[in-house]
Amino acid sequence: MSIHPFITIQELEQKLARKEICRKEVLEFYLRRFEAFDGQIGSALEIFEKYSILTNTNMQNGELFGIPGLIKDNICQKDRTTSCASKILENFVATYDATAIQRLKDAGALLIGRANMDEFAMGSSTETSAFQKTHNPWDLTRVPGGSSGGSIAAVAAGLVPWALGSETGGSVRQPAALCGIVGLKPTYGLISRYGLIAYASSLDQIGIATRTVYDNARVLSVIAGKDKNDASMQQVEKKDYTQKLDGKLPHNLKIGVVSNALYAEGMDTEIIEKIQEAVKVFEQQGASIKEMQLPTLDYAAATYFILSRAEAASNLARFDGVRYGLRNKKAQSLSKMYFTSRHDGFGQEVRSRILVGNYVLSAGHAGQFYNNAQKVQRLISHEFKQAFADVDILVMPVHPAPAFKMGAFENDKLQMDLQDYFTCAMNIAGIPALALPCGFSKDNLPIGFQIVGPHLSEELLFQVGHAFQQATDWHTKTPAGY
Amino acid sequence: MAQLITQEEIEKIARLSHIELHETEIASTIQHVSAVLSYAARVQEIAKDVTMPSLKNSNVEREDVVIPCDAQAILAQAPEREGDFFVVPVIIEGQ
Repeated sequence: MSIHPFITIQELEQKLARKEICRKEVLEFYLRRFEAFDGQIGSALEIFEKYSILTNTNMQNGELFGIPGLIKDNICQKDRTTSCASKILENFVATYDATAIQRLKDAGALLIGRANMDEFAMGSSTETSAFQKTHNPWDLTRVPGGSSGGSIAAVAAGLVPWALGSETGGSVRQPAALCGIVGLKPTYGLISRYGLIAYASSLDQIGIATRTVYDNARVLSVIAGKDKNDASMQQVEKKDYTQKLDGKLPHNLKIGVVSNALYAEGMDTEIIEKIQEAVKVFEQQGASIKEMQLPTLDYAAATYFILSRAEAASNLARFDGVRYGLRNKKAQSLSKMYFTSRHDGFGQEVRSRILVGNYVLSAGHAGQFYNNAQKVQRLISHEFKQAFADVDILVMPVHPAPAFKMGAFENDKLQMDLQDYFTCAMNIAGIPALALPCGFSKDNLPIGFQIVGPHLSEELLFQVGHAFQQATDWHTKTPAGY
Repeated sequence: MAQLITQEEIEKIARLSHIELHETEIASTIQHVSAVLSYAARVQEIAKDVTMPSLKNSNVEREDVVIPCDAQAILAQAPEREGDFFVVPVIIEGQ
């Protein structure tokens, strides 16, 4: 029995339940696909040995029984390397499972490997990985976006039905939009961060990549919910996020289109048009639409730069070459060892972010930068709260232009950093957002948009996103040649 | 508004960050860090009008209990070890 490579979790599960195929055959099918196509895409840093995948999970049953997935390489899988795509952790072996991984294993999922990413999740193109480049399956000369580019490219090319990524400022939504798939950034505290290697702890969340909204809800149902190992969690019980997915919008749904984002300077006109068409779909389904201004959004990227770099400088201080990770063994003194190990182990982008972080926190500059950023964070949260008093969800762009060429921002790193422009505000406010495909550019590159809701509104976002996918077929388009 | 960082400042921050900065990296690092800071400085424009109080955070505490774990698996990650100890180079540097 063969499987269509772009089969959904939902369909695959039915085939497994009807015993048309067994989980070993499913796994072999996807392992063959990685072998055939990942040489050109470069999505995975490692694909595990077949029998270790089959035995390192619930072998009897579970909510994702026999469904293969790929894990971003900053999420700990016990006894597997977890490198963060950094030389400093190249040989680091996780000694425990992240909570999300433990739950996936309990659910019988097949965890087949480690996905490439920007080093320490710092980047928007997956080009800062110390090990390899990942290519966009729609055009191999272009980036998949980042930082979860490996996870997203694998799902987009049909190498795996789902993958985990992580978000600090847009690292799941932006690549999902650039590769034409669905990406969820959940409410801060909905998925445990235990075992997710920290970049900026107050913003970090594990995110989910799938081709359909329904599948995304399936994976979230397995991994979401309170965990005693993460003190920053919302005390939310486990639930089935697919329950309300009937293909219809909620009655009297009010949607706010964020006009200062949609018509922002530099927005590609094709993207504006596609998002306008998406809004029309919601209108036809009975939603009422109004345009809104969220002026502090224009300060989100600046706020994000400061908060994320400050926390990164603090979190990454632990990599010192003493207890684990890369050490310069030629260093003759302790301080020389610290300085050279951190220089050699971290890539240029990571080092720059640590420097920016320590600068904005340092005496004499914290007032101008860090303290002000915290104030603007309050403004951004407040502005969203006010918006959600008026409408149920917001519609916004994810990216200003389709996927860019590899190396395009090599000499203009600020432009690369500004890829987070439309996405980082949600991380700053801790609210959820779902990126969805809504069309293609004239060059046949995917275009996405995002729907944004208040804290813990994932169920609503899924309901709206699923209704959109019942009325459109963008999520069924796949890149040629796979 | 250019937030230019000087060579002296970048070297000081690199020292505080425990990161070696090679001579050949100074110019490009200054350029990159300055570009980010110049952009980030715009937070000042609206922060001055913010009167909202900061969000109250509360501590989440847990019982101080010993959780068994395999110390050998952790020690096995050591770049250099002697028995159950991590080895580091000399701490007190001579003249």
